[in-house]
Amino acid sequence: MTVDSTRGVPRRRVLAGGAAAAGTAALAGCGLQAKAEGGPMQFWNFYAPQRSDDPALAAQSKWFTDLVAKWNASHKTKIELLYLPPPIYQTGSKLPTAFAAGSGPDIFLASPGDFLRYYNGGILMDLTPHMDKAAVKDYYKDALASRMVDGKVYALPMEVEPLAMYYDVSAWEKAKLSEGDIPTTWDQLLDVGAKLKSPTRAGIVTETKPGYLQNFLWYPWMWQGGGDVLDEKGRPSVDTKAVRQALQLWQDAVRLGITPRVPPAANDLIAAFRGGNAAMWQSGIWQVSSFRAFAPKFEYGLFKLPTPPGGTYKTALGGWSFCANAKGRHPEAAAEFCAWALGTMEEECLDRMVDWCVKAKSDIAPRKSVLERATRAGGYDQWAMKYFKDEVFPGGRAEPRYPPVIYKAMSDALQGAMLAGRSVDSETSRAAQSVEAYVKSYKGAKLV
Amino acid sequence: MSDLAAPERTASAAPAARPKEPPQPRLSRKHREWLAAALFLLPDCIGLLVFVGIPMVLSVVLSFFQVSGFGSYEWVGLGNYERMLGDPLFWDSMKITGIYVLVLVPVLFVVSLGLGLLVKQNLPGVSIFRTIFFLPYVISLVVVGLLWKFMLDEQIGVVNKAFRSVGLEGESWLGDPDIALYSIIAVFIWVMMGYYMIIFLAGLQEIPREYYEAARIDGAGPWTQFRTITWPLLRPTSFFVLLMSTVAAITGGFELVFVLTEGGPANSTSLAIFYIYQQAFVFGEYGYSAAMGTALVLAMVLVSGVIFKITKGGRFDDGD
Repeated sequence: MTVDSTRGVPRRRVLAGGAAAAGTAALAGCGLQAKAEGGPMQFWNFYAPQRSDDPALAAQSKWFTDLVAKWNASHKTKIELLYLPPPIYQTGSKLPTAFAAGSGPDIFLASPGDFLRYYNGGILMDLTPHMDKAAVKDYYKDALASRMVDGKVYALPMEVEPLAMYYDVSAWEKAKLSEGDIPTTWDQLLDVGAKLKSPTRAGIVTETKPGYLQNFLWYPWMWQGGGDVLDEKGRPSVDTKAVRQALQLWQDAVRLGITPRVPPAANDLIAAFRGGNAAMWQSGIWQVSSFRAFAPKFEYGLFKLPTPPGGTYKTALGGWSFCANAKGRHPEAAAEFCAWALGTMEEECLDRMVDWCVKAKSDIAPRKSVLERATRAGGYDQWAMKYFKDEVFPGGRAEPRYPPVIYKAMSDALQGAMLAGRSVDSETSRAAQSVEAYVKSYKGAKLV
Repeated sequence: MSDLAAPERTASAAPAARPKEPPQPRLSRKHREWLAAALFLLPDCIGLLVFVGIPMVLSVVLSFFQVSGFGSYEWVGLGNYERMLGDPLFWDSMKITGIYVLVLVPVLFVVSLGLGLLVKQNLPGVSIFRTIFFLPYVISLVVVGLLWKFMLDEQIGVVNKAFRSVGLEGESWLGDPDIALYSIIAVFIWVMMGYYMIIFLAGLQEIPREYYEAARIDGAGPWTQFRTITWPLLRPTSFFVLLMSTVAAITGGFELVFVLTEGGPANSTSLAIFYIYQQAFVFGEYGYSAAMGTALVLAMVLVSGVIFKITKGGRFDDGD
């Protein structure tokens, strides 16, 4: 049928066209459009593309854009990077909302804390078929274990980030402390913190805001006494002496005025050190590149987290992973990309990971061959990187993949003990009850 | 015969011409006005339906499902509401919201009214002060949050520096569970007072000047003038401010909590609106979150009804 332009479009046809357009718009609004075939894959991340005066951020952005350019040059299904600022990506609602609306990205970055939520929701693609078997074995067991289910890999770590204690050397000297005073026990840590604190300087800074980061920073203190949230078989094990003493340590640090209730200098470690507002700060290896970029001449020191009486040294190993969306537009291509980027034994793949871990950022490489290669290339020659690799990392344990309910139970205990001054015993018992109730009804992949 | 009959036939075939009437419109004037009104209202109605009506209905529907956030929906009936009733953190968040509203609304009301009365005076530079007081309202709440985060910093924040300069000890404004909520209330008042000041100013300017002149002639002092003229005649404005500030308090604290404390320390600033957000977007409990959202809306309707009842809807005639 043709339309006589001199007579105009028939009314019914206009209505039908309008309804179709409205329907399309509505579907697009509901996010269902993302399921349509065609178009490049979306890679949501918090690194690139961005323009920044910070050389570290610029290098990280370039690493991502180079990676995607390389893929696009040799593959039919292209990738488009979408940058989301870290606060929006890491704690905001954009990513969960997108997945809920059926328009999640094809490729995205996830931390261990999000793993089970995405896995149990059917979001994560199995990356194993696209990986070299040798590459799977090449990953450090701890780095990959929390991203695996039934022997299959569902997320590929790009980095490993252990925690340690940073300190301001000049603050120590002014307080007449030297390297010999570096604490190795919790009591010594509090003693040194008390000596270093002043009305405008915090003795020890750690995260006080509720969130995954706070739990992550606290776990090693719990592990050092032999405690855990869930045991090796996934059974609740919160109500123990080790958990209580770790909560007590953080409560004491605040109660004695050694740890401020809110981190100074808007939680900026370097600004706080330079401004004389912090003497010690628990943080991760990622700060080394920040010092390199912003304060190359600032004299700082590092030491391993001290241990409780009879305890064993532990630190937590964090880090983000590449994931492919099983409900995206191109799940196979997205999985192939993740494996191509980080999961092969190709020279190019290994070099790329070296660049990320020691040039763009300051991290421990998550794979043995990459760590060796980076070491040979001088990536760990600098004293802080060497210390992290040789002293801090070997005592590490992967960040757990506890789902939100378990995270919240522990977070509430931590907040209650540390900042509300509530009884450590009651907070521990309450957390234990919550975790036990949750584990009883939990359905999904193994929690540990 | 034919010659005589012919003119008659001609006359009957062509009826006499009627007087010309204006063409009759297809719709009456009343109906045309209705149509025009409907056309003007249509865009807003569509917007309201698409962005408010349908989401509200869908939210209520969602509250009867267990939703994973990844496409799985399981009918649970009133399960989410049962869970809500037994969730101590939800009740804590409602209690915190109650305190927040009960402290914030009266203080905001008094401060805004005071400022309105102040800037109504013909004082030198008053227009500059009006602008200064109103300025915080035009700043994004997220920016306000970041700004105050620096100012309320324990160690280097300007607030504690001011305290220390007069020999007082500083406080942990955002880190102490006993104080943090009130810090957020203070920041929210700082943001909103300019807006409500303008509303009060408009209300005050509506009151005829002659009433005050007559009162002064009768010997009434400023307090008597306020009590007998200003306060009663401000009733519609007061009702509006009370209602709007209550709704703003219940729903508008989210950004500040998100930026300043993220519900901490120890859940002391976890307002209901923040807890609902957290359940949905941090924990992926969309159905449960929708149930709590529905309960919060019902609570808001209830509170609005109470305010309406107490203030008689701002009417002068007491409803008689």
